[in-house]
Amino acid sequence: MRSVSGTRRLLRWIGNGLLVVLLVWTLVPFYWMVATSLKKDKEIYGFEATLVPRQPTLANYTRLFAATPFTKYVRNSTIIACSTTILSLVFGCLGAYALARLRFPGRNLIARGLVFTYLVPPALLFIPLFTVISTLRLVDTHQGLILTYLSFSVPFCTWLLMGYFRSVPLELEEAALVDGCTRLGSLVRVILPMSLPALAVVAFFSFTQSWNEFLYANVFVNSVEVRTITTGLTLFVVEDVFFWGPMMGASFLSALPPLVLYLIFQRWVVKGLTLGAVKG
Amino acid sequence: MAGMTRRQVLKSAGVAAAVTTSPWWRVGKSAAQRAKKLVFWHLPNFTPLADELQKQQVYEFAKQAGLKEADVEYAVVAGEQAQQKLAAAIEAGNPPDVTRLYESNVQFYASGGHLLDVNDLVDKMRREPKGIFESALSSVMYKGRAMGVPLAVNPWPVHARLDLLEQAKVEYPKTWDEFIETSKKIQSPPRLFAFGMCLGLVEDTTDNVMNLLWCYGGKMVEADNKTVVMNSPENAAGVKVIEAMFKTHKIIPPGAISWDNSGNNKAYQSKQAAFVMNPTSIYAYLDGNDKDLQKVTGLMPVPAGPKGAINQIDTWAYGAFKKTPYPELAKGLLEYFMQPAHYDKIIQSTGGRWVPVYKRLFDSPFWKEKPAFKHFIKMAETGVPVSYAGSPTPAAGEVLNTHLIPKMIQRVLVDNWEAARALDECHKRIVEVYARYARG
Repeated sequence: MRSVSGTRRLLRWIGNGLLVVLLVWTLVPFYWMVATSLKKDKEIYGFEATLVPRQPTLANYTRLFAATPFTKYVRNSTIIACSTTILSLVFGCLGAYALARLRFPGRNLIARGLVFTYLVPPALLFIPLFTVISTLRLVDTHQGLILTYLSFSVPFCTWLLMGYFRSVPLELEEAALVDGCTRLGSLVRVILPMSLPALAVVAFFSFTQSWNEFLYANVFVNSVEVRTITTGLTLFVVEDVFFWGPMMGASFLSALPPLVLYLIFQRWVVKGLTLGAVKG
Repeated sequence: MAGMTRRQVLKSAGVAAAVTTSPWWRVGKSAAQRAKKLVFWHLPNFTPLADELQKQQVYEFAKQAGLKEADVEYAVVAGEQAQQKLAAAIEAGNPPDVTRLYESNVQFYASGGHLLDVNDLVDKMRREPKGIFESALSSVMYKGRAMGVPLAVNPWPVHARLDLLEQAKVEYPKTWDEFIETSKKIQSPPRLFAFGMCLGLVEDTTDNVMNLLWCYGGKMVEADNKTVVMNSPENAAGVKVIEAMFKTHKIIPPGAISWDNSGNNKAYQSKQAAFVMNPTSIYAYLDGNDKDLQKVTGLMPVPAGPKGAINQIDTWAYGAFKKTPYPELAKGLLEYFMQPAHYDKIIQSTGGRWVPVYKRLFDSPFWKEKPAFKHFIKMAETGVPVSYAGSPTPAAGEVLNTHLIPKMIQRVLVDNWEAARALDECHKRIVEVYARYARG
């Protein structure tokens, strides 16, 4: 008969094995991207797939920065993702606070509407949204994309923060109100400091969603001056030929900001996801 | 969400959908709101020089038309993504004034009533000395009117490794039978297969398969664009040849059945295939990235079958959209592009990627100096579209886009169906497509 500690050890081994599989699953594409970006075309197209570049070269990166407007794409993605993140936090916090704490007619309907709005797929929305953006004369502008991205980031952020705000004891806020704090003051001074993990999740979500978004960016933007990284990458495909080297270099560089952000805020993100997700 | 009934969920979903899609009523106002401006969507070329020249010409024309630089919107749109952008822009009533279109797009947008009639411009092009290749016209003609301006002929030669032929001391094969024998001599699988025939569920497979079937007397539809003849004995004979190449002679790489449109490009560029049938995008890629391989690459006509050698071409076109608030400006730009002096500069700058539609431009030494271009003029003169013997109609476009012919060939190669049975199934599906379009 297997002892209890033996069973635990077996389970731990299985768990660790699964983690290794997941780790490989996650890291191999990333490694392949980096390795390909350091290879010459002849090696990329060679008969044998090489795990390690035979003659590592930075030529693809040189081409990326010297012959393409990649830095402009990075600038645009940064402006749009950061602006969306900040605005999502502001609107998300205000909306979530109102829905969590205030009593007004239609509150439940709005709360449910948030979820439905978030669930409508972009493929259904891109044409009507383009019409709106076009009518507002915001096609091919940073503002147009930011406004569009808020349409999916604010509902999600509000929904997530709403659950988290409800978990903050009401008594703390009441004490602040008794001490003369306004509603806004109690939100800023009491609730937000206690909700940092949730804010980290919301910020991380908004940033990565805006950074990685493709469909709206493709349809709503025409010029290089506003084009983001995701749509810029498509220009490395001309007809039926793929320019893998620079494309992989650009993909690698564009994956870095969300990765760095995640590493910095990892502790809060994990806490926020586990707490906010179960309190509603 | 707790406590909601199914009816409430449906109601809320309905309200959300109505609210989010309500801006439809504003469709059509966008174009009118636009200030006087020339909007051109450019699909990138292989050579930066061609891109630069095209941009220059747009601005030169705008200047002549009295527009300032700020009145020109020159957008670079990746080819693969152009369809989504166009769909949204057309629905919003705000398409570009002019853009480049593939041949099935011309038919698709013309049938939807989105394109400006440019018959007068095309007539003018035909009146140029020596005229234009009439083969380039079929793709832009819709109900007897030119709805696009043929921009370039896009031939599908066989890219052939001349060095391997030389090593094996054999000539480029003249017939498909010779092709199989030559292939066996020059290949050394698994490192090098002879024939990089595209067999995946993609457009290139339709092109490759049909091109071979034509040589055996096969076709998809008759010239009346109504009578589908996919289940003919001629097509069956051609399919059996492909089956033999794949299963018996093993001159096609097994992985070809899962290739995408770039699969044959990659096979040739990585020297894993000695022959591929493809537009000259491969040749143009080699020009910038592998001169050594380009030097030993021949652009050859397709080998002949019992019914001769037929080469595929498709035609790219410029289209101007009806919704443009400035149709004269849009047509003016097209006319400017197509003035032979302007046009020739761009065509030559593509280094052989585009073949001119004006016959007299072939008199230029550019087309005579390189042996690789030797067969282009004949291909442009006699080439046929993938919908041959029919024209590139919207129905033919759907057959191409829904991969009915690739599915047929995979029935034979993967599911081991008899050629006749696979063709019969394919025939029925194509009949359905053509019947639907005939009903309107």
